Amino acid sequence: MTAPELSQPMPRTRKRMNATYRWWWVFQRVSGVILVVLIFTHLFVNLMMGDGVSQIDFAFVAGKWAAWYWQVIDFVMLLLAMLHGTNGMSYLINDYARSRRSRAILQAILGIAAVVIIVLGSLVIWTFEPCPVDATGAFLPGVPSGCPFN
Amino acid sequence: MTAVDTAPAQVGGVPSMTVTLRIRRLNPEGVGDHAAGEDYWEEFQVEAHATDRVLDALHKIKWEQDGSLAFRRSCAHGVCGSDAMRINAKNRLACKTLLKDLNPAKPILIEPIAGLPVEKDLIVDMEPFFASYREIMPFLMPSGPAPERERLQSPEERERFDDTTKCILCAACTTACPVFWTDGQYFGPQAIVGAHRFIFDSRDEGQWDRLEILNDKAGVWKCRTAFNCTEACPRGIEVTKAISEVKKVLNTGEI
Amino acid sequence: MIEHEYDVVIVGAGGAGMRAALESSQRARTAVLTKLYPTRSHTGAAQGGMAAALANVEDDNAEWHVFDTIKGGDYLVDQDAAEILCREAVDAVLDLEKMGLPFNRTEEGKIDQRRFGGHTRDHGQAPVRRACYSADRTGHMILQTLYQQCIRQQVEFYNEYYVLDLLLTEDPQAAAPGEEVAVAGVVSYELATGEIHVFRAKSVVFATGGAGKIFKTTSNAHTLTGDGMGIALRAGLPLEDMEFFQFHPTGLAGLGILLSEAARGEGGILRNSEGERFMERYAPTIKDLAPRDMVARAMANEVREGRGAGPHKDYVLLDLTHLEPAHIDAKLPDITEFARTYLGVEPYTEPVPVYPTAHYAMGGIPTTVQGEVLRNNTDKVTGLYAAGECACVSVHGANRLGTNSLLDINVFGRRAGIAAAEHALATAEAAPLPANGEARLVEIVERLRATASGGGTESVAGLRKELQETMDRNVQVFRTAESLAEATAVVADVKARYANVAIHDRGQKYNTDLLEALELGFLIDLAEVTVAGALAREESRGGHYREDFPTRDDDKFMKHTMAYATGEGVRLDYKPVTITTYQPMERKY
Repeated sequence: MTAPELSQPMPRTRKRMNATYRWWWVFQRVSGVILVVLIFTHLFVNLMMGDGVSQIDFAFVAGKWAAWYWQVIDFVMLLLAMLHGTNGMSYLINDYARSRRSRAILQAILGIAAVVIIVLGSLVIWTFEPCPVDATGAFLPGVPSGCPFN
Repeated sequence: MTAVDTAPAQVGGVPSMTVTLRIRRLNPEGVGDHAAGEDYWEEFQVEAHATDRVLDALHKIKWEQDGSLAFRRSCAHGVCGSDAMRINAKNRLACKTLLKDLNPAKPILIEPIAGLPVEKDLIVDMEPFFASYREIMPFLMPSGPAPERERLQSPEERERFDDTTKCILCAACTTACPVFWTDGQYFGPQAIVGAHRFIFDSRDEGQWDRLEILNDKAGVWKCRTAFNCTEACPRGIEVTKAISEVKKVLNTGEI
Repeated sequence: MIEHEYDVVIVGAGGAGMRAALESSQRARTAVLTKLYPTRSHTGAAQGGMAAALANVEDDNAEWHVFDTIKGGDYLVDQDAAEILCREAVDAVLDLEKMGLPFNRTEEGKIDQRRFGGHTRDHGQAPVRRACYSADRTGHMILQTLYQQCIRQQVEFYNEYYVLDLLLTEDPQAAAPGEEVAVAGVVSYELATGEIHVFRAKSVVFATGGAGKIFKTTSNAHTLTGDGMGIALRAGLPLEDMEFFQFHPTGLAGLGILLSEAARGEGGILRNSEGERFMERYAPTIKDLAPRDMVARAMANEVREGRGAGPHKDYVLLDLTHLEPAHIDAKLPDITEFARTYLGVEPYTEPVPVYPTAHYAMGGIPTTVQGEVLRNNTDKVTGLYAAGECACVSVHGANRLGTNSLLDINVFGRRAGIAAAEHALATAEAAPLPANGEARLVEIVERLRATASGGGTESVAGLRKELQETMDRNVQVFRTAESLAEATAVVADVKARYANVAIHDRGQKYNTDLLEALELGFLIDLAEVTVAGALAREESRGGHYREDFPTRDDDKFMKHTMAYATGEGVRLDYKPVTITTYQPMERKY
């Protein structure tokens, strides 16, 4: 009356795993930390330095985006904030949407909104003209005092 | 055992009181004014001692007022995991919750655990829950020939996964998890606890098979550290911590 | 009615059932029918450990374990069975370890062992560390590990199927000695739907656990209603040694919730109201680690003689306050939490109120060492097996030693599983099902369900309470002819009124009300044979103590009781005890 050895499923060797879900999880945490730095820097520069909130006008924005590094910083902030926010919203929709149909619709709206905002925002940052002129070639009122910058 | 005769050691010291229980009910075949499958609240009043368990109060209702009240129970002291339910909006075991720890002045709300299909009153279909558990291959997978005596394991190695060996599969954690409530897109905390118990067992060599499963869509990345599971666990397992340890292994590649 | 056919049907998914299923399902097509989800089984409530002479921490051997088991059982143990139990113990523990069971470890990484009541070195010289354990949840770990292995082997479970009847080819009491009586299958009730399912099988294994709910104060689960034993009894099979019921010394006072003997194995001390370590008077050598029957009796005696603690002087105290809190947390975390949760007592600083609680049925369905069920003193029922608490091999005799039950389920669960599968493989076709085999159950179910719409005056809970209270009062640690006569009368009265019982729930689905009524029927039958056996056994042995016959009487009662249910009530017969090595001696510790 001896028992046969219990069959053991052999463990497989370690292999490359799908990283999608892990990547999004890591992204959400890393982007969150970076965004905290970026947003507080943004708020400090715009609201605290110089004349504070009253200084913000077309000329102020144009003055910043005339420098390439401000363009890069604001673009990174735009991208991270949108991806981070969209991912978070997507979780919320998953949690609270009752049916598959409403979930699919809300996710689609969210996705489209995110793409539109990222595309528009990128266009604004990268194709920004700090010294716009009218039909005659004269600067419009309100351009920064340093125009033209070249 | 009724509430009155359970505790002679305490009788005298503990006066009896009237408690109201509001129970979320559902009869799959319909009863009275209630259609089949319709859920509704019903109130019962029972005489009980402060040191009685919620389970004792439920038994008093079933045995003295309404025999059709359906709930699962077995050991009545918190080790078999049959009677997890939502008591005052928190997942607990009815046999481990004493009336004195709830506010007896207000009705005690009792509902079935959330996220699993309700079959009758407080009884839910546990099959999806056990299916998630089976998914993570909850059994030792050693490699190589079995030794003649025991496999050696130091007390420190044994201690590494002690917390998650306490799990009694009551589903209190999984059904407290807001992510699990969304139609089965997530294995739930219990399955991860079940996997943790083997991933950190020095004798096991199937860790990467389990980790691969937990790395997938319904796996650990769904966890948003709400801590509901840790709060709900009647065995005091640090569930969220266990999940975080699994995430850490997946991120660093080291156990 | 739905019909199924398997090679082997196992009834019950606790330790014995799942251990049998692991063996059987590798060899033959096996179904496990269980009234609870497997992980709810009461094996999970076992705490202290599983005995095996591994000698990992102290000198030990299986022979000493055999002796302790026989002496602990007050010589009513069948010694051939005890030898198998103790010799296969080492492999049983090692098998579990290989399946993944997380035992506590020694510094060298081996399975750690602790002391337990009645386990001694060198035939009673001193306590020995023999219990392999995993904190104070060894049973939980065994249940989980066996369930995990069942998942791996894809064992087929029918969860929440209540087996309520057994189908045999002949009436075992009408059949002549030597004539073949074979199992044909079982009849079960599916909780979810109320459907009746008949399972035809070549082999049937009963592993249905205990019947502690015949008592009011018990460590047993609400679901431990002795269904398997009751079914066997009604099918005309005998039950062996049912008068031997173990009362665990340390139940939480008033509640009956179990506090493991490991508490004393780790150094806990029992004290009376005067603070005296009273076990020194009752068992001078091993004191608090005497076998359970002696400790339970000593505790009850202290209370009876006015040295009980508490406002009503109705319990004694389990003192752990001299142990390091860290040691308690490492070795006894669960039971100390029970004391905090249910009594509001902090075991680090206060002694815990305890009193004996009905714990374990030494008796049950008589079997051979292969788990084959006997229908009289010699004839087996072809294809029918039993293991675990519902069976009586008999390795526990008149009193089971702590940690021998987790061993029993593993050793004899395994043996029954193998024997059942091998019988199925050697059998071409299952015995034919009797015509209308399910009729008996259908009739009972329909009659009970009809009472929900009127008729019937007795309540299930009321009758159960009367039954349990009389058992607690009259058939507990101390018994006399008078107390047993009173119990006989009450049980008979409850039985008569049970015919008039009514339920509330008329539904088909999840009708737990109906099932409680059916379970009560089994409890009444089992209480009846327990009391009848106790009344007839005019001696004191192990867990059965008659104040009117306070000594063991080997001349008249060195024999197993075999109780049969007949139309005229319980018929008692007796079966000789198998003695191989150890002649009965006086039992002193």
